[in-house]
Amino acid sequence: MTISVPETSKQLIDHDDVIYDIKNVTLRFGGVTSLNDVTMQMYRGEILAIIGPNGAGKTSLFNALTGVYHPQEGTISLAGRSGDSHAMVIGKKTHIINHMGVARTFQNIRLFPALTALENVRVAVETRQKSGPVSAMLGMPWQRKEDRESIDKGLELLRFVGLREKANELAGSLAYGEQRRLEIARALGTNPGVILLDEPAAGTNPSEKRELAELILQIRRERGVSVLLIEHDMKLVMSIADRLVVLNFGGKIAEGTPEEIQKDPVVIAAYLGTSAEEAAEELEALPELHTLALDDPDANIIIETPHVPAEEEKA
Amino acid sequence: MRNVPWYQNPTVKRLFGCLALGLVLSLMIGKQQGSRDDYYVGIKKALFGPSILGPRIILFLLVGVGVFFLITYWSRIKPYLGRPGIKPMAIGALGVVMGYVLLKWTDNSRAAADGKLGTLSDAASSTEGLSPIAQTFFTMPVPWILFLVSLIATLIAVILRNRVLGYAAAAICVVAGLWGYLAHGYVQSFLGTPDHSLGSAFQLLAYLTIAGGALVAARSHLEVADTKNFIRRAFAWRPGLFLAAIGSLVGLESLLQATWFSPQGRNATLVDMSALFAGSGLAPVSQQFLRWGAFVLLGAAILVGLVATLGLARKKLGWVAFGVGVVGALLTLLTLYLATGYAASEGFEGATGHWQNLGAGGWLAAMAFVMLAGAGWIVATLDAPVQVEKAERDLMSSDTVGGSVRHIPGMKYALLIAVIAVALFYPPTMTEYWQNVLVSQIGIFVLLAIGLNVVVGWAGLLDLGFIAFYAVGSYTTAWLVGSLPAKPPFTVSPLWAIPVAVIFALIAGVMLGAPTLRLRGDYLAIVTLGFGEIVRIVAVNAESITNSTRGPSPAVPHPAISIGPLQWEWGLNYLQYWYLLLVIMVLVIIGFRRLEDSRLGRAWAAIREDEVAAQATGVNTFRAKLFAFAIGASTSGIAGVFFASQVGYFNPQNFTLEYSILVVAYVVFGGMGSLPGAMAGAAVLTWLPEFLKEQVPAEDRQMWIGAVILLMMIFRPAGLIPATRRETELEGIDEAPRIEPRAVPESESMGATS
Amino acid sequence: MNWLQNLPDYLVLGLTRGSMYALVALGYTLVYGVLQLINFAHSEVFMAGAFGSYLVVSQLAPGEHGFLGASMIVLAGLLTGAIVSALIAWTLELVAYKPLRQRGAPKLAFLISAIGMSFFLVQLFGKLFNRFSGNPFPENYLDKNAPVLELGGVTVTRIQVIIIVAALLTMILLDRIVNGTKLGRSIRAVAEDAPTAALMGINIDRTISRTFLIGGALAGVAGFLFGQAFGFGNTMGFDQGVKAFAAAVLGGIGNLRGAMMGGLLLGIVEAIVPPLPFIGIEWTDVVAFVVLVAILVFRPTGLLGEKLGRAA
Repeated sequence: MTISVPETSKQLIDHDDVIYDIKNVTLRFGGVTSLNDVTMQMYRGEILAIIGPNGAGKTSLFNALTGVYHPQEGTISLAGRSGDSHAMVIGKKTHIINHMGVARTFQNIRLFPALTALENVRVAVETRQKSGPVSAMLGMPWQRKEDRESIDKGLELLRFVGLREKANELAGSLAYGEQRRLEIARALGTNPGVILLDEPAAGTNPSEKRELAELILQIRRERGVSVLLIEHDMKLVMSIADRLVVLNFGGKIAEGTPEEIQKDPVVIAAYLGTSAEEAAEELEALPELHTLALDDPDANIIIETPHVPAEEEKA
Repeated sequence: MRNVPWYQNPTVKRLFGCLALGLVLSLMIGKQQGSRDDYYVGIKKALFGPSILGPRIILFLLVGVGVFFLITYWSRIKPYLGRPGIKPMAIGALGVVMGYVLLKWTDNSRAAADGKLGTLSDAASSTEGLSPIAQTFFTMPVPWILFLVSLIATLIAVILRNRVLGYAAAAICVVAGLWGYLAHGYVQSFLGTPDHSLGSAFQLLAYLTIAGGALVAARSHLEVADTKNFIRRAFAWRPGLFLAAIGSLVGLESLLQATWFSPQGRNATLVDMSALFAGSGLAPVSQQFLRWGAFVLLGAAILVGLVATLGLARKKLGWVAFGVGVVGALLTLLTLYLATGYAASEGFEGATGHWQNLGAGGWLAAMAFVMLAGAGWIVATLDAPVQVEKAERDLMSSDTVGGSVRHIPGMKYALLIAVIAVALFYPPTMTEYWQNVLVSQIGIFVLLAIGLNVVVGWAGLLDLGFIAFYAVGSYTTAWLVGSLPAKPPFTVSPLWAIPVAVIFALIAGVMLGAPTLRLRGDYLAIVTLGFGEIVRIVAVNAESITNSTRGPSPAVPHPAISIGPLQWEWGLNYLQYWYLLLVIMVLVIIGFRRLEDSRLGRAWAAIREDEVAAQATGVNTFRAKLFAFAIGASTSGIAGVFFASQVGYFNPQNFTLEYSILVVAYVVFGGMGSLPGAMAGAAVLTWLPEFLKEQVPAEDRQMWIGAVILLMMIFRPAGLIPATRRETELEGIDEAPRIEPRAVPESESMGATS
Repeated sequence: MNWLQNLPDYLVLGLTRGSMYALVALGYTLVYGVLQLINFAHSEVFMAGAFGSYLVVSQLAPGEHGFLGASMIVLAGLLTGAIVSALIAWTLELVAYKPLRQRGAPKLAFLISAIGMSFFLVQLFGKLFNRFSGNPFPENYLDKNAPVLELGGVTVTRIQVIIIVAALLTMILLDRIVNGTKLGRSIRAVAEDAPTAALMGINIDRTISRTFLIGGALAGVAGFLFGQAFGFGNTMGFDQGVKAFAAAVLGGIGNLRGAMMGGLLLGIVEAIVPPLPFIGIEWTDVVAFVVLVAILVFRPTGLLGEKLGRAA
C-alpha cells in the first residue's frame, strides 16, 4: 500500500491559528479516570492523529471535545472556523458545539439508517438553515429556496465522497465502506472548520483504505477543513498525519511528527506493554523490528491488545 | 433426534393451541350470558347453550381442528396458493360471503327487520308480483348455489390454468354478481323506498374480483406469473385506467339504478325525475340535462375516458374526457340545486328545500364525472414516456417475470382523486346515522390521529395524554363563547375560537414538554398520561370555571361565518360539518405533508433514528421535540374546537385516558409515521365499532376490536399502511432500484432479545 | 388539626393501598426488566386474579368457619388468584408478545398489541361474568372490618392486616426467587444483557415466559386482596394498573426495590396529602401524578434508578 502525499502540508498549516486549545483536561467516571491531565493544541489546516492502545481515552477525548462528556478539570477552548474567536467547550451542549464548527463521525457508524443517503446529508446541511415549521407548512418562497439549496449541497457532498448515484438509497442498505463515507459527507454537511474522524478505516479493505486516505487529504485540501483523526491503522496514520498525539491510560505520553513517534521508545513501550527503558534498549539493539511493526498495515491486529494488566503499568 | 416428551411435540402443541383457539372463539361468539353469581351457568350457556347449531363448543372445536389441519398440511396447500388468480379469488370469495351475511341489503325495515339478505329473501320469495329475476334470486339457496358454482368454476380454472375455463368462470362470476345486483334493484323499485344499503354493490364488486382472478388464470400462460405482477403490468402502461373503471361503474349505477329524488320516501330514478320535471318551470338547462344530458355526457365521459386510458390516442382524448367530466359534474350539481329548490318552491309533496330530498343518484353521477375527469387529466398530463409497445412486450415475454415494471405511474394521483371524489360526494348518500358517525367519530379521530402522528410517528415520542389538548381546545371554545361559569372578556363565534384554542393548546404543549422532554420514552409516556388525567380532573373539580361534570351550559353555539355579504351558519345537518371538517383536514394534511419533507421533518426522523448522532450533527433535539409537541397539541386543539361547536354539550367524560390510548392505538395500527396510515388506522378503528354494532351484541364490541388490533399487530406489526421514505426527485440520475422499506429501523426492533 | 390527629390512620390506609400498588408494580417492573417494554395488559392480569379467586372463595365461604378455616379460605383465595393471573399472564405473553418478538416488531407495536389484549380480556370477562355493583365477595367468614389492633387511636382492621402481611410475605418470596434461585439468576441475566445471556446458555424465551408467570402471580395476589377489600369488576384493572405503573416508574422502572418503594410511597402520598385541609379528597389523582412528575423531573430515572439486575 502506497499513499502519496502530493501537497506540501507546511503551506496549509497555520501555526498561529489554534483551533482546539486543550489544557490540563481530566475526565473521571466514578473512580475511573478516563482522561488524565491532557494538554495539547490543534492548529488550523492540520491533520492531527490521536493514537494509542485500546482504552487509552481516545474516544473519551473526542466526546469531551464535542460536548458529550464534560471533564471535571481543565479547559478546552475552541475556534471552530477560521476567524472565529475562542470560546469554551466544557458545559456546552453537543449541538451547540457542532454549530461552533465541529463535526464528527463515530467509531461504530451512527447513520440514520431508515433515511436515504441524501436525507442523511440534508439533515446536517439543514441545521444551518433558518426557516421554521410555519413557513414549511405554508410553503413560503424562502423555505423552498432553502430546500433547493439543501438538496444541491447534499448532492454536491455526496459527489465529493463518491456516493452521488446512491443518493436515493437507504443509508442502512449501503455497503460498510459506503456508510463510512456517507458519515463523513454528513459531517461535512454542517460546514465545519474541523472534522473529528473516529476510526474511519475500521473494517474497510485495503483499496477502501487507500480511497479513504485520499478523501481525508481532499477534505483538507479542497474544503479547507482541518482533520482530527483517531485511527489504529498505523500505515494510514503515518502516511497522512502531519502530527500525532499518543495517549495511554488517559494521559498524553508523546507528541510529534510520524517519524518522531515511530522511533519514540515510550510509544513503543506503551504498545508492547514493556517499560520505556527496556523498549529503548531493544530499540537500540534491533532498530528495524519495532519501526517495522508499527509500519506494517496488519500490525494493528497485534498492537491493539495491550499485554500488561493495567495495575502494573500504573505503578 | 432428541427424545422430547409428548407434550412438547410441536404437533401436539399446535393441536392444543388450535383447540384453545376454538374454545376462545366459542366464548367470544354469542350473546352475553350468565352473571357473576351463576358464572358456571354463564359458561355452560356460552359453550353448550341453546342455539340452533346445537352445542356451540363442538362446532368451534371443529373449527380449531380445521385450523390445525390447515397449518399442519400447509406445505401441501401452499404450492396451490402460488397459482395465478388464487388471491383475488380468495379475497372475492370472502367479500361475497361478507356481502351475503354481514351487510345490509335494504333499509326498509318492514321488508326485512335486520335488512340482511336472509330476512329479505324470506320476504321477497313470498311476494307476489316481483320480477322473476328477483324472485328466483331471493329463493333461498339460490345465491349460495350461485356463489358455489362461480367459486368452483374459478377454482378449477385456476388449478388447471385453462384459458377457456378461465373465461367461462369469469363470465359466470359476472352473471352471478349482476344477477344479485339487478335483483336487489328490482326489489328496491318494488318497495319504492330510498335505500342506502351496500350489500348488493359489495357482492357485485366481490364477484368482479373473483372474475378478475379467473381472468388472471386465463391469461397466465407464463409458468410463474402472479396476480400482483399481472395487475401491475395491466395498469402500468394504462395510467388512469383504474380511476376510469371505477368511475364507469359508479356512473352506470347512477344512471340505471340509483334513486335521484325522493321527497316523502318516493323513489325516483333519473328517468322518473326527468318525467317529474318535464315541462315544468325548472331552468331549461336542467330539464335537458335530466332528459338526455346526463346520459349523453356520462356515456361520452365513460367512452372517452376508457378509450383514452386504454392507451389509444392518449393525450387529446384525455383532455376531452377531462373537459366532459368537469362540465358533467358542474351540470349535475347545478341541476340538483335548481331542481330541489324548484320542487320546494312549487310545493312538491314533501320537498323541503335546496339540496334536500336527494337520493344517491345525483351524487354518484357527480362522483363518476369527477373520477372520469381525473382519469382524463392523468392521461393527458402524465409526463413519463409510456411505451405501450414495450410494456405489451413485457407482458407477453416470460423473461421479465418478476417485473421490470415495478410501480404504476400515476397511481398515486389516481388514488388521491378517487379519495377526494368519494370524500366529497359519498357522504350525502349516507343515512343520517352514518353521517353523524362520519363527523363526530371518524372525522374527529382522524384529525386527532393526524396530530398525534406528528408526536408519536415522526418525532418518536410516546404521548399518552394527547386528549388533554383536545380538552383544552374544547374548553377554550366554550369559554370564548361564554358557555362556562368563567366569562371571557368578549365572546366570539366558535370558528374564531380556533386561533385562540390553537395558541392555548400550543402553550399547554410547551408547558408539558419543556420540563419533561428530557425524559426517556417510557417515563415520558407516564408523565404525559398523568398530565392528561390532571387536565380531566381539573375539569371535573374546578366547578367555578368549568361547571364540573355538567359541562358547558348553555350549549356551545354552532359555528357561523359572516364576512360582508358571505353569511353562513352551521346548523344541525351533519353534512355541513363534514365539509367544514374536510376543509380543516385538507389544510392540515397539506401543511403536514410539507412539514414531513422539511428540515424539521427530517430532523425528527434523525432523532427517531439516533438521537446522539442527531445531536452530533447539530440538530437541536430539544427544540425539535418541543415543536413536535406543540404542533401535535395545536392540531388536537383544532379538533377540540370543532368537537365543542358541533356537539354543543360535552363534559369531562369526553376526555378520559381511554381516548388518549385509543388515539395512540389508531396511529400505530395504521402505520406509525405514515400520514395516510394514521388516517386509515383512525378511520378503520372508529368505523369498526359502528359496523360491529349491527353484527355483534353491543357489549362485545370492545372485545372484537381488541381482537382485531391484536391480530393486526401480530401479522402486520408495521401497520396498515407502513411509512415509506419519499425519494427526492433528481434530474439526470440513473433510476436506482426503487425501495419502499419500512420506516421503522431494525435497530428499534425487539429482534435482538429473542 | 383534624388532619394531624388522623395522620396515623391515613398512614395505615396508605400502607394498605401502597402494598397493593407495589405488588402490581412489581409485575410491570419485572416485565420491563426483561423486555424493556410496558406490559399494558398487566392491569387485566390483576383483574383476572380477582375473578379467579372469587370463583373459589365464593364456593368455600358459605357456612361457619373458625379462625383456621377462614385463614385457609384466604390462603385459597390468594393461591387461586395467583394461579389464574399467572396463567393469564403466560397466555398474554404467548399470544401478544412472542409472535411480535419473533417478527422483530417495533417497540410500540408491543404496546398496541397489549392494548388490544387488554380490551379483549376486559370484555371477555365482562361477557362471561356479568357485572354487578357493590362487593359480592363473601364477607361473613371474614368480618373484614373488625378491628384487630388499636394503638393510641389508630385502628387497624382485619383486612388491612391481611393485605399488609400477605403483600409483605409475597415480596419476601419474590426476593428469594429473584436472588436465590437459578430462575432468578437467569431473569437478572436476561435483564442485564439478553444476547450475552443467550450466549451463556440461558433460554431467553423460557425465562421471559416465566417472568410473566411470576409477575402475573404477584398481580393475582393483589387482585384477590383488592377484590376482598374494595370489590371487583371487569373494569377494575384500569385505574389500579395506571397507578401501579406510575409507582413502578416512580421507583425506577425495571428495579424491583424501586417498584416496592414506589408503590408504598404512592399509596402513602395518596392517603395523607389529599385530606390536608387546603387540598381536598377529590384531588387525590392529581396529587399522585404531580408527585410523580415532580420526582421524575428531578430524578429522570426514578427514585432508585433502573436496572433489574443491579438493584434487585
